[in-house]
Amino acid sequence: MVKTKEILVSTYVMWYRQVKRFIRARSRLVGSIAQPLFWMLFFGLGFTSALTFQGYRAFNSMNYMSFLIPGIILMAVFFTSFMAGISIIWDKEFGFLKEVLVAPTSRSILIFGRALGDSTVAVLQGFIVLAVAYLLTPNLLLKGVPILVLTVFLTALTFTCLGITLASKIKSMEGFQLLTTFIAMPTLFLSGAFFPVETMPSWMKIMAFLNPLTYGVDAARKVLTGVGFFPLALSLTVLLGATLVFTFLAAWVFEKTTIE
Amino acid sequence: MSVIEIRNLTKKFGDVLAIDNVSFEVEKGEIFGFLGPNGAGKTTTLNILVTVMKPTSGMAKVAGYDVVKYPLKVRERIGVVFQDITLDRELTGRENLWVHGKVYKMQTNELKKRIDELLKFIELEKWVDIQVKRYSGGMMRRLEIARALIHNPEILFLDEPTLGLDPQTRVHVWDYIKKLKEEHEITVFLTTHYMDEAEKLCDRVAIIDHGKIISIGKPEELTRQIGKEVVYVKVEDSFRVKEMLKSLGEMGFVEDVHQIGGTTIRFSVEDASKTIPKIFEVSQKLKVKIEEVRYHKPTLEDVFLHFTGRSLREHEAGFMDHVRIYHMRRR
Repeated sequence: MVKTKEILVSTYVMWYRQVKRFIRARSRLVGSIAQPLFWMLFFGLGFTSALTFQGYRAFNSMNYMSFLIPGIILMAVFFTSFMAGISIIWDKEFGFLKEVLVAPTSRSILIFGRALGDSTVAVLQGFIVLAVAYLLTPNLLLKGVPILVLTVFLTALTFTCLGITLASKIKSMEGFQLLTTFIAMPTLFLSGAFFPVETMPSWMKIMAFLNPLTYGVDAARKVLTGVGFFPLALSLTVLLGATLVFTFLAAWVFEKTTIE
Repeated sequence: MSVIEIRNLTKKFGDVLAIDNVSFEVEKGEIFGFLGPNGAGKTTTLNILVTVMKPTSGMAKVAGYDVVKYPLKVRERIGVVFQDITLDRELTGRENLWVHGKVYKMQTNELKKRIDELLKFIELEKWVDIQVKRYSGGMMRRLEIARALIHNPEILFLDEPTLGLDPQTRVHVWDYIKKLKEEHEITVFLTTHYMDEAEKLCDRVAIIDHGKIISIGKPEELTRQIGKEVVYVKVEDSFRVKEMLKSLGEMGFVEDVHQIGGTTIRFSVEDASKTIPKIFEVSQKLKVKIEEVRYHKPTLEDVFLHFTGRSLREHEAGFMDHVRIYHMRRR
């Protein structure tokens, strides 16, 4: 019993820390909303008019804007959570990680609490973006919001933990650059956030199928617009699986971290 | 009774020997200083003692437990303040202490009491509900010390506790560390490359260079090793230094004559004020022009120079330290 309580307290305190940090850092809040907003406004509206030919609409008669918005929400969530995970690189040199390494508490639990906190932050950001998006396209379906919360949360936890796993192994700032270029960009472009998976060349399709973000984007699109490539249950199952795998991986890698 | 015990400790990074067969003990209740230039192996030793790095060979015991075999037992009994500020800048002072206490599994009531107690001790009561990013460097350091103490550790580890602080704030931080020892009977292990810090704050000092301890003892014992007073004589002509060295060496009451740099000679004597006129006599006889004479009671800086032939200051603030200091100020 004592053990369970300890685990809950450790998890909670790390969660509390991450969420509080987010609420306090207003510049981060503004930045996190501004970027997706620019995507929706400029990229979204630009392509919407480019793809509308004399009343003909691509994407199964769906407005490109409606198609794009779930993608942008998931993009915001993906970037926030992946970067939050990777940010433990900085912590290794200048912060919290060192503290945790000398604490007499399970590292796995502390890092799990932190990942939960970061994911909560990502969910909050995702919903701020959704609120803004709703103003642009009021025809979004809102009845599936609880499922959207679940989708966004699982996606966030997956990529926070992936970030933590990769960051634990990286020793330099150059590595940080490489990660953003070679992991973040392809993950985003191969997720179906900007263009549909079904019209991708087949080699690209295979990569998209292996990408957890694809399922997050597709589930969000299904919930918000009613149109999706995969059955919702499949997407959620894949996301749940990815979350479990990456959470355990992050905990395992972080448990063994030393300063060298 | 020794609370830290190190036997033949060695740490290699690839081919580089960071710590070379080091052995020493730290007694309960003392302030023990690890003095040396950057890259001497101070932080590496500290990292091993606080269980975040594994030694290549040798043994280290902290609070009676082997750091490799029982890291959790060690962690429960120590508090650590790292070189870089590791506070949460967005959180308030109180929140920082609270998070730390909870990570250390403290009960809420006990933790609240302890937080109030420590905030009083470090005199930050008025700042406690303000975000840490508004604190000065000295206040952050004090808060970090309080944080490291929250779980009542037996030993406090401080890595360069006053790096990047202005002289006044440094003295302030020293006062807290001294008060800690007096009021809380805690053992303090600190690393520093400031010789005045080692001299004024520490009960015992180990001087470390290139991963080896070159001298260990009370500051006054260490300085006594190299005589009563140290004299520096700077001559004009570098070609005449050798002659001057030789004549000084023959003077009998002059000990430990060394040439440092191109034109400076250093030696130690019993009474510098009486020796200096005699030195001028010698220089006149040799027709060597003296540009400058300085003397002072020996400091740990002189001890370091004596054993290594180099100055501690030559190494002061390397590139990484500038990055660090910049980073600390920016955060």
